[in-house]
Amino acid sequence: MTSRCILQTALLVYFSTTVLAMNYNLLRFQLSSSSVECQELLLQLNGTSKDCLKDRMNFKIPEEIQKSQQFQKEDIVLVTLEMFQKTSDIFRRNLSSTGWNESIVENLLATLHWQKEHLEEILEDIMQEENFTWDHRTLLHLKRYYLRIVRYLKAKEYSVCAWTIVQAEILKSFFFLDKLTDSLPN
Amino acid sequence: MLWSQNASPLRSQNLCFVVCISLLSGVLSSLPELSDKSCTFKVTLRNFRVILSWEVKNHSIVPDHYTLQYTVISRPDGVKTVEHCSNITASFCDLTDVWEVLPETYAVTVDGFRGNTTLVTCFVDFFLAAYISLEPPEFDIVNFIDHINVNVNFPPVLPKILEELLQFHLSLIIEEQSGEIVKKHNPVLDENVIGNFTYVIDKLLPNTNYCVSIYFMPRNLEAIRRSPVKCTLLQPARDTGSSESARIGGIITMFLIAAVFISTIIILKRVGYICLRNDFPKVLNFNNLSAWVFPEMPPLEAVAFVEVIHINRKKKVWNYNYNDESDSNDEATAPLTSTGGYTKHGLLSGLPGPTSASSATGQDCLEPDTEEPNLSELEAESLMAPEPSPRLGKLLQDRFSEDGSSTEEAGDKIIFNVNLSSVFVSTLDDDSDIPPVLPSFPEETYDLEDSHTLEPSFLASGGEGTQPPFPTPSAECPCPEDVLSDKNDNSESDVDIGDGYIMR
Repeated sequence: MTSRCILQTALLVYFSTTVLAMNYNLLRFQLSSSSVECQELLLQLNGTSKDCLKDRMNFKIPEEIQKSQQFQKEDIVLVTLEMFQKTSDIFRRNLSSTGWNESIVENLLATLHWQKEHLEEILEDIMQEENFTWDHRTLLHLKRYYLRIVRYLKAKEYSVCAWTIVQAEILKSFFFLDKLTDSLPN
Repeated sequence: MLWSQNASPLRSQNLCFVVCISLLSGVLSSLPELSDKSCTFKVTLRNFRVILSWEVKNHSIVPDHYTLQYTVISRPDGVKTVEHCSNITASFCDLTDVWEVLPETYAVTVDGFRGNTTLVTCFVDFFLAAYISLEPPEFDIVNFIDHINVNVNFPPVLPKILEELLQFHLSLIIEEQSGEIVKKHNPVLDENVIGNFTYVIDKLLPNTNYCVSIYFMPRNLEAIRRSPVKCTLLQPARDTGSSESARIGGIITMFLIAAVFISTIIILKRVGYICLRNDFPKVLNFNNLSAWVFPEMPPLEAVAFVEVIHINRKKKVWNYNYNDESDSNDEATAPLTSTGGYTKHGLLSGLPGPTSASSATGQDCLEPDTEEPNLSELEAESLMAPEPSPRLGKLLQDRFSEDGSSTEEAGDKIIFNVNLSSVFVSTLDDDSDIPPVLPSFPEETYDLEDSHTLEPSFLASGGEGTQPPFPTPSAECPCPEDVLSDKNDNSESDVDIGDGYIMR
């Protein structure tokens, strides 16, 4: 009886880790795909910064994200989820001054939402099956980063130049998100 | 720097990129052109250099020199003038050592002058990582008998932007084509790759034409720009060496295949899986129809016919009464025959009648004879045993003692001489009046006139085969213990004379 229980538990753990391993490979692929698509959509949003150089601002993306330091795979999931979530929140704000194609914006929001949902599911699985310490410091820096962007938009009253500057900043953040995703283990 | 080659395919994740991204958003290289109303720009990685080129749209406006300035969008930095791109006549600028950050949106201004007159001002801002076009590097190939060396010249010192490009943004693909077969090789490049490096494409067929092409594949799957194809014909292999060894290898391979095949056939045959035996036994051979229709009679078994002969014999009673005067009616006297004859020993009068089952069955065996039941028992026992049984001896002793006749001492054995050749088994026969045919026993005499007494009949052998004249243990005079159950059954059904054997 005991040996059977141990065997069943061992099998469950083995297959769970196997499934999670397979999910991380799939997650890497999905994240990369979503990131590339979001970048393509952002690049299609027309606009120029010729008259907006005076509105530039250094939002100071966290150094942990820029340098792509070694994260645990669970932290990568959490960080990417935060980035997709906050980006989606930003582009749901007042875009009326930009004159951007609404279908492109809707596609962008749909991609962000889909990837966010998938990351939330994986995060739930991680929280149920594994016990680890989250990197709260990186997450806090990330939250502050996006908060600065939101405050900037509010301060600039969602002007076209402000959105142009934010557009460039979000493109940069997705580049670093790609590097984070690429560091997910096999 | 020599890179070993294992014909490694594309990384699976890159392959997935190609498939999935293509499905999701079609052609991803549909980015807006870098241009403004006056100029068209293009940023290219050419021979590991970041080159920004431009072209004035209005061909009627032809500046004689240009000046390039730039700034970044992510920081509120000032506009910077590129010194080596000021007052240049060329319409391109090498910005490899100027732009160090790949993930950056650069805002570029190009002023076209004729003399001191600004003829045109062009402005463009673009995200460098997305818009940089990767031209394939220059390379050359060196062919050998069975491999090709692909030499790519990397710069002796990698610029910072190139480090980031090679580390993350792009991968180098070497395509090898022979006929319709295309193989892709993906050597891993890191930030330490510098100078000339050689990639070896091995395991090639001698005396075969191969074409090689290389290109960078960007991560964001922008349009791939392949290098011009370079083809070469490999040198033929030496006949003495490789061809002979190939021939020997082929012969050995054929031999091994044949050995495996033959051994498999042998094993299957021995197991019985194939080539089942069809040599049936003769009895299962139905080809001989006549033998089938007219089967041969099995050989007859040796049969011995036995004829039961009933002999009415006068019993010879041995009178144990030594008193000359006594003349009991119960007595039966019989002459004592000589040895070799049948002798019956009678019992004295007054002896108890048959009380035991054995005595009764003993009668059944011999022939029911009410006159001398006790004697029948003794006879039966004497007939069955060449040696007197202890029970017989005791019985006789007891009877002698009762009568007061001369007895032997208690414990003395009474020995009967029994001629085994004359042991008979009597049977009940309906035709008891018919005198049996006697075998040749010259020493015996029989009285056939007395029909009241029935002598035990004996088995006469006749016919084919021979039979011993005395019963076999299977036929029977039953042993006394065996006949206990037949005590009251004196019917003729006890005797079965079928097949020449007497059985009970």
